[in-house]
Amino acid sequence: MIATVMDAQNQPDADGDVDEPGRAFADVAREQLDGLYGYCVRLTSDRTQAEDLVQDTLLRAMRAYPGLRDETKVKSWLFTIATNVWRDLGRARGRTPATVSLDDAVREDDFSLFATLAIEDPFPYSDELHLDFLRLFRDEDVQHVFAQINPVFRAPLILATIHGFSCKEAAAILDVPLGTLLSRLHRGRKQLERGLWDYALRNGLVKVGDEP
Amino acid sequence: MIDCPEAVRRMWAYLDHALARGATEEFETHLDACQRCCGELEFSRHLKELAATSGAESVPDPLRRRIEMLLGGGGTGTDPGTPHD
Repeated sequence: MIATVMDAQNQPDADGDVDEPGRAFADVAREQLDGLYGYCVRLTSDRTQAEDLVQDTLLRAMRAYPGLRDETKVKSWLFTIATNVWRDLGRARGRTPATVSLDDAVREDDFSLFATLAIEDPFPYSDELHLDFLRLFRDEDVQHVFAQINPVFRAPLILATIHGFSCKEAAAILDVPLGTLLSRLHRGRKQLERGLWDYALRNGLVKVGDEP
Repeated sequence: MIDCPEAVRRMWAYLDHALARGATEEFETHLDACQRCCGELEFSRHLKELAATSGAESVPDPLRRRIEMLLGGGGTGTDPGTPHD
């Protein structure tokens, strides 16, 4: 069939992927738009930059779409382009690319939120201490914590934890070996755990020690 | 059998189905005998869900309008309405 810009007959499958050949780029872009925007917001931690990134990504993707061979991979394809555009924008602005390996320079973080909660016991009368702690956080609180995570470790976390990519897929999107991806993912999660605890203390969500 | 620190180190990879088969079996054997790590695994699962749900976004209307113009009007010198294969 001849696909047109406004053709919206084809729908994605349960995974958000597209399996029909010959679909118009506009349809694909619309279906992936919310996810792509969410990725860009978390990647940049800035909504204005995220909007620029989404538009630049779609422009580049529009040009490259005729060469896309496997439409079932369209979501990871778009996220790969967004990652590359973000890197390019960073270089243009003189920012250190987020994907430069800092593994050797970053100390291992052994903080455990689970153990810290058990030790500090901020809810002494709770039967669900750990879950009660997580219930303190609104979406915007978690987003604030995410923004504080080192971008090198944040990107794998976004891809694997929020967008459901496998570690292998996330490694391909970020163009790093799987072992590097797993190491960064682990450190990203440790920074998330520490960030949630620090945020809770700083904003008075929990009180510990001698405080009532 | 692996100890608790090693089990904790593998925990998130286990949730991501990123552990090799042997490492998974060792981890699950540890869980069978360790109530504490079962608790931390459950907590990690909830933490992962919290992070995942907080990341949902909807494109703001002004951006959506700009993108519709981009998709409808080309903007790259190519015709997006042209069949791509």
